Amino acid sequence: MMTADHEMSAVDVAARVQRGEVTAEHVAASALARIAALDSQLNAFSYVADDALGQARAIDAKRARGERLGPLAGVPVAIKDAICVRGVPSTAASKILGGYRPPYDATVIARLRAADAVLIGKTNMDEFAMGSSTENSAFGPTRNPWDTTRTPGGSSGGSAAAVAARLTACALGSDTGGSIRQPASFTGTVGIKPTYGRVPRYGLIAFASSLDQIGPFATDVRAAARLLTVIAGHDPLDSTSLDVPGDDFESACGRSIRGLRIGLPEEYFAPGLDPEVAASVRAAVSELAAQGCVVKTVKLPHTDYAVATYYVIATAEASSNLARFDGVRYGLRTFGDPTRKDARRDLLAMYGATRDTGFGAEVKRRILLGTFVLSSGYYDAYYLKAQRARTLIRRDFERAFHDVDVICAPASPTPAFRLGEKNDDPLAMYLNDVFTLPASLAGIPAMSVPCAPSAGGLPIGLQVMARPLDEATMLAVAASWEARSPARGRLPAIAVGAG
Amino acid sequence: MPAPKIDRALVTHVAKLACLSLADSEVDRFAAELGRIMAHVEHLNALDTSDVPPTAHVQIDHAPRRADELAPCLARSEVLSQAPQVEADGFAVPAFVE
Repeated sequence: MMTADHEMSAVDVAARVQRGEVTAEHVAASALARIAALDSQLNAFSYVADDALGQARAIDAKRARGERLGPLAGVPVAIKDAICVRGVPSTAASKILGGYRPPYDATVIARLRAADAVLIGKTNMDEFAMGSSTENSAFGPTRNPWDTTRTPGGSSGGSAAAVAARLTACALGSDTGGSIRQPASFTGTVGIKPTYGRVPRYGLIAFASSLDQIGPFATDVRAAARLLTVIAGHDPLDSTSLDVPGDDFESACGRSIRGLRIGLPEEYFAPGLDPEVAASVRAAVSELAAQGCVVKTVKLPHTDYAVATYYVIATAEASSNLARFDGVRYGLRTFGDPTRKDARRDLLAMYGATRDTGFGAEVKRRILLGTFVLSSGYYDAYYLKAQRARTLIRRDFERAFHDVDVICAPASPTPAFRLGEKNDDPLAMYLNDVFTLPASLAGIPAMSVPCAPSAGGLPIGLQVMARPLDEATMLAVAASWEARSPARGRLPAIAVGAG
Repeated sequence: MPAPKIDRALVTHVAKLACLSLADSEVDRFAAELGRIMAHVEHLNALDTSDVPPTAHVQIDHAPRRADELAPCLARSEVLSQAPQVEADGFAVPAFVE
């Protein structure tokens, strides 16, 4: 039996389109049909591209002219709504950017176009990427394809759910403190947070600039590696973009892992970790040992301080970045309720009312927190203190990577939690990010690859972390695990049989 | 420094700094929530960081510089196309100088 279109990896889709066995138009039409049939149950997409078939026909025409097609020929890619696409709604799921259609493409979008990908639509997210469940969205929550009463994680929950349900072959997300890895873990997809500076941020709506990084979601490690190869590389439009030689991330997936040293951080296997998650991760690492890896315990002693450190630094940066939303250059402008007796129409009234009306509760909470830790009298006690703690967390990893080549750990303490479960307790939601924040603070590459199903059938993710710029070793380990994972080939029921 | 009490007055002060016109009910809610979050942040005080330099940014020392050269940018009409209000070929704002 032939593999149905939607069950193909992006790598296979591109090969078939390049060879002319299927047209890009057929692939795009099939993706659009699946989105139309299934997304009402998931709410993964905030916008579906009305020119998707036109993009696909242009790729088919290019092939008909005898031109060579790019590495993502005809591959549908869904784009997190925080990434600017020229002329397409790009709102970061916020009311304050309602109706905004950027007059330019993000660098990663220009690179996808050059690789002959089809931009299939924009995906739902937590507003301004602030959240871990995709519930803080002006578009309403996204649901997990494995169990629609549960969250797909966040903030890139729409991208993760779209790939998990095979509505699209792959997607882009962004990761500030785990926003790619945690949803990948909750949805049984592959998600990569590259080394800070590896992928240009130009055109990414900023949350916390010293942490934000764009990365891929895909159905398998090789496809994620190909997407990373396409979007990575120096960009003069992003002053934090690193000028380092590109790596062939895809060929790294086939590298031998024999003799590699894997670290297991004892601090990650602490109370609060679901025993089933712990057992799955340990089983995966034992299997990697059987493949010739050496397993060692490593210490990351400042792990416990990561949540506090992150929520000071990220909110401080956010309070500064989000000052640009003032009702002047784009998005919402309001002066508030004109019938109120204190109604005014001056500049400060416009700023205050626009921001109070446009931002959701979590965004306001973080702006207040960030403004507070930067405010006069508190800067040294909180912001500077957190920056010093960040150094200690970085040093933990530097020391650990003297002894090991990669670190394996859970991506999240539990499988996907229920929608609404943590909504009333922001601190509980923040503490859930404990395993993804340290790699973000250290700027190192990290990814989640499906580890095993839980007893209840929910995905559990294996997080693999590596030295700065050593995505290749990380991918080799992830690909080797993927080939042996009990999660291999599992699809959520919603993705089977439809379309 | 002793931990500050996160109360209505502090939230109102910070909201003013952040140009957020909060409703009364929001002020109470944020005071309670921020109080709980800052209590967690106080854990950082257990760390001795007296000899530890701050990390503002990872790897910034490797960031390359580019030549300061003129290059094309977006057309004015494209930039203004997303503005809530345009006048005289610019972003229109309420008068703030008498």
